[in-house]
Amino acid sequence: MTTASRPAPPPIRTHKDGRNWVGKSIRRLEDPKFLRGRGGYIGDMTLPGMLHVAVLSSPYAHARITGINTDAALAAPGVHAVITGAQAAELTDPLPDFGPNPAAHTWRCLAVEKVRYVGEGVAVVVADSRYLAEDALALIDVEYEPLPPVVDPERALDEGAPLVHEDLGSNCAYERTFQFGEVDRDFADADVVITDRLRWRRSGGQPLETVGAIADFEVATGQLTVHTNSLSFTSYLFMVAGTLKIPANKLDIRPMPAGGSFGSKLFATKPAVIAAMCSRAVGRPVVYLEDRIDNISNCDHHGSDRVYDVQLALMRDGTMRSIKIDTVDDYGAYIQFGVGHHGNALAQVVGPYRIASVEYRVRAALTNKNQQGAYRGFGSEVNNWMLEQMVDKAARELGLDPVEIRRHNFIRDFPYFIPTGNVYDSGDYDGVLDKALKLAEYDHWRAEQVKAREEGRYIGIGLITAQERSVFSATEFWFWFDTPGAPVTSMPESVTLKVDATGGITATLYSCAFWGNSPETMVAQLVAEEFDCDPHDVSIVYQGSKNGLPATGPGGSRTTVMLAGAVEGATAKIKAKARRATGYMLEANPDDLEWVDGGYQVKGSPEARKTLAEIAVMLHLFKHSFPEDMESGLEESKVFDHPYTTMPSADRKDLGVFYPFMGHACHVPVIEVDIETGQVSFLSYAAVHDCGTLVNPRSLAGHIVGGTAQGIGTALYEEFVYDEEGQLLTSSYLDYLIPTAIEVPELKIGHHETPSPWTPHGIKGGGEGGRMMAPAAINVAVNDALAPLGVRLTELPMTPDRILAAIRAARESR
Amino acid sequence: MDKYDITLIVNGRSSTVSVEPRKLLVDVLREDLGLKGTHIGCEHGVCGTCTVLLKGRSIRSCITFAVQADGAEIRTVEGLANGADLHPLQDEFWTKQGLQCGYCTPGMLMRACEIIEQNPDPSPEQVREGIASNLCRCTGYQFIIEAVCAAAGRMRGEEQRPDQATMPTEAKA
Amino acid sequence: MKPPPFRYAAPTSVEEVLDLLAANADAEPRVLAGGQSLVPLMNFRLAQPGFLVDLRLVEALTTLRTERDVLVIGAMVRQSAVERSPEVALAAPLLVEALGYVAHPPIRNSGTVGGSLAHADPSAELPAVALALDAELLTAGPSGTRTIPAAEFFRGPFTTALEPGEILTEVRIPRREGVGGYAFVEFARTHGNFALVGVAAVIEMEKDIVTGASITLSGVASTPVRAAAAERALAGTSADAATIEVAVDAAADELSPAGDLHGSTATRTDIARSCLRGGIQLALSRAQDRR
Repeated sequence: MTTASRPAPPPIRTHKDGRNWVGKSIRRLEDPKFLRGRGGYIGDMTLPGMLHVAVLSSPYAHARITGINTDAALAAPGVHAVITGAQAAELTDPLPDFGPNPAAHTWRCLAVEKVRYVGEGVAVVVADSRYLAEDALALIDVEYEPLPPVVDPERALDEGAPLVHEDLGSNCAYERTFQFGEVDRDFADADVVITDRLRWRRSGGQPLETVGAIADFEVATGQLTVHTNSLSFTSYLFMVAGTLKIPANKLDIRPMPAGGSFGSKLFATKPAVIAAMCSRAVGRPVVYLEDRIDNISNCDHHGSDRVYDVQLALMRDGTMRSIKIDTVDDYGAYIQFGVGHHGNALAQVVGPYRIASVEYRVRAALTNKNQQGAYRGFGSEVNNWMLEQMVDKAARELGLDPVEIRRHNFIRDFPYFIPTGNVYDSGDYDGVLDKALKLAEYDHWRAEQVKAREEGRYIGIGLITAQERSVFSATEFWFWFDTPGAPVTSMPESVTLKVDATGGITATLYSCAFWGNSPETMVAQLVAEEFDCDPHDVSIVYQGSKNGLPATGPGGSRTTVMLAGAVEGATAKIKAKARRATGYMLEANPDDLEWVDGGYQVKGSPEARKTLAEIAVMLHLFKHSFPEDMESGLEESKVFDHPYTTMPSADRKDLGVFYPFMGHACHVPVIEVDIETGQVSFLSYAAVHDCGTLVNPRSLAGHIVGGTAQGIGTALYEEFVYDEEGQLLTSSYLDYLIPTAIEVPELKIGHHETPSPWTPHGIKGGGEGGRMMAPAAINVAVNDALAPLGVRLTELPMTPDRILAAIRAARESR
Repeated sequence: MDKYDITLIVNGRSSTVSVEPRKLLVDVLREDLGLKGTHIGCEHGVCGTCTVLLKGRSIRSCITFAVQADGAEIRTVEGLANGADLHPLQDEFWTKQGLQCGYCTPGMLMRACEIIEQNPDPSPEQVREGIASNLCRCTGYQFIIEAVCAAAGRMRGEEQRPDQATMPTEAKA
Repeated sequence: MKPPPFRYAAPTSVEEVLDLLAANADAEPRVLAGGQSLVPLMNFRLAQPGFLVDLRLVEALTTLRTERDVLVIGAMVRQSAVERSPEVALAAPLLVEALGYVAHPPIRNSGTVGGSLAHADPSAELPAVALALDAELLTAGPSGTRTIPAAEFFRGPFTTALEPGEILTEVRIPRREGVGGYAFVEFARTHGNFALVGVAAVIEMEKDIVTGASITLSGVASTPVRAAAAERALAGTSADAATIEVAVDAAADELSPAGDLHGSTATRTDIARSCLRGGIQLALSRAQDRR
């Protein structure tokens, strides 16, 4: 697709000045119930007669199931049912799967015939309590015939490797090489090519609340109600209904507040399907709530696990020309979301830099591990890390200043189409960088670093500048294929606003539940901005899927932008009706009315005025005061579609616009490495983010700190470690190390606001940014600290073991 | 298995319940006493979401059998607020946004209670080390530390309750 | 992650405890102290005792007192109580310092000194401290009471000299009031988690000369071990920087810690070196301050 053939962008918006509520750090509407311990999480809910499920999980990474005897378990006290994988395969169809060719790597709620990772479920027990269910698990006798496991993703792609799915014929679930722009020409023109091999190992969201569902199947009506803390069911409800073999209009999925997700509760279908299957089997409400072992080993949401071979072509002055990226991604035993993680990477593959062309080869390897799902960043955080390691290495090898090489390559003209076809809507990368350098006291720390080196101390400063995409398009699900199975293009979000007879406003949200973000606060602030009310007076309701309007749910930092659009649209409808009603009430021409401070008044005659409450009571109760065609009530809905996406080109040399609202950030951690213990400690940490117009600055700051804390985990502590036999060595929090308050430094946070031209108020998404930046920044910092030793870490997490091994290797090679 | 009658004095109210000796204190609080505010996170004593005060001291209720608490006074998050009035810790957690998903919050609040009761004037560093016993996956801890320090100040009578509706925006760099 | 069923009793005397253990010997009985190690193992169903004897009502085990030259800590004294005790601060400041590294305060509020010693986790702090302080462990069992020196108590990972049916009743620590310097340092990957390596050091000096050194390590072997080579290297010297390095090297050369996912043998040895140096330096500086 050429520039000339690109569809025109949407019209540029003008944003309101002097906002009253958007931009204020109000206290969150959601919080009082959580502060009182009345959050109403899935574990807090009890239905009459509810039974409990526990899952028997595989101790083997790869084994054939040759027999299961459940007699003793069935006879155990309090047990109502035991369902094996084979029985489950009769009760349910395969789980919803967006991966390539799902029939060749069929994924079910329980393993049938063979297990493919440690932790995969092989049977379930339904009992009076979780205690009794676990007692009975121990009585299930499973015979396994162990098979050789495949654990390393590159070995998995070798000829003759053991097959995770025989039907696939190999362990490569997807392979393609994309070329965007004139890669060969740009490499030929370049002065130097910097190459590297990088390894990002898997971690995961690990919310403190696990995933769960309560299912209640009414045999009399065939109606199935599922309460779950997983999300995003509304648009894809029919897929879950299909798995359960019931009509979609007999299924209602009701959102529950989630005790954290970080992506890992995104469309987590397995717990809901297990609970529903069991409820139908026993005819009573059933809860399945993962325990921590389930969640660590069987959550279907491990994060990215990539090997990279990268070549970055530059001119000697640091001008970046082109990049070739070759990555193998270890998806584990299944591939439910396909290679969407790489769509996230391609949305911002060149970072904030003018890189003219890109080659991107991705191979998705299947191995005997729990599968990948979503984890804050969804693959873009890995791309940021890869690119910033390359830029950092280039600066070192070319003898260039790490700040200046970045500044030299910054994109400055917006909107800017990157080689993949995605657009960056707006940005001010110099402004963010300048703020960050000041906030971080960059020059001071460079001076300290010199002094420290003289004392034999190893201080490092990690400066990175990187992108923070927001609001995805569904096209990124299928642009991987020339002939995609389901080339969907919808990803709406909806809001209903109701003004009651007293003027009180209730907003109804669809598919968008609470998972630590603040949809209620955001919507309340946006409603308050429109109607000049106090946001704490706005009431919020979450609707279940059955009565839901089209809605895609959270993910890809889309919630605030999409809700803002829906609120704006619903407001416009309400105000149009209210304006017309006021015209009748004041016997004025509606066109002469203006909205001022919570009501309509005649322009130039502010005494001729009706407040929203006055208008609402008339519309609700006084039908005869209005013409026949004026409907009673004051309630309107808006289904808001993505404001700017375009189709990919047929040859996939241009993927279209699929992640257009592009945030940006600069992180500057200062660390010290103890070269005898390999311990990394923080001396300072500054972060400046630009997520467009801020709705609640303190909430965004909270997400930046929290995301950075998770990024610190990814960089230094957290890893799901599988040994050569595919055993999961980190099956508890004694070995899967989540940073405590001691490991997380105090952040200095700066905000920069470059509004988007295409979203309400100029908002961009910002929920994932901290984790998109921190791993890259900390890796750069560690390498900066250890540069005098000739040490460069290329593998995350940078554990003491890896740091010390690198130091020992450098010493031995001298 | 035999059940044992135990008496727990939770938030000042005495209850006698009959429990299996293996039943964890957190499950008795949640299921037998209906106090759902104490959460289950890891069930092996690391994350601290199940923290309650037993005889005034913070403990992990997920690695404590309820029978071990027989006859003891227990305080949970449900005992913090006085009717409509939030405890200063709760109020400051709200104002400072010391919570996001809210799941670790009850445990964090109870641990913070103990920290302030032992040291009414803790430094931010002391609070940081103190709450390192409890994991929070959302906040990165920073606003929790700010909230605990602010609440301690209010409980000492030194600081005023802030404006309920709004907080100043972050300092622009 | 719910514990398996078990039978339970909470007796009030050591005799009853021993009787219950004997009477239920077939049920693989365990005693329950603070439960901070045992209950997680039961939640994972890695431990499945058929009978638990809860020690919480046995008053005789809750003593914390000083007897002439010995600090006596009953097996059921909570770690946080020991940590806060002015008596212990005087008599065994090393113990107080080490307790600060034992998990987190909420764990120490329940966990007991005796429980940690009897659990004998090779990476735990208190066994290394008991060894460094030449503590004696008092036990009671079917065949009476025994006094076991710490050096003979720890036999392997989670294995002690306790016989079936025998329990730990008291820890007796020689008082070291006003004598020498002490230090406990350790390296854990995250705050409060199990340490990779810990070092307990007690160093006595007279006129700038080291007259005695007791240095032990945790996490580097199947039991806590004494860094005898380092003790010898320091003894009789003024412990200048070069001597400390000799001592550290001598001790490290004797180590061959097993590697695991958190650190290879080489990594753990490097870290042990750092902890040894840190522990020796801190203990020395405190010994010098004492003079």
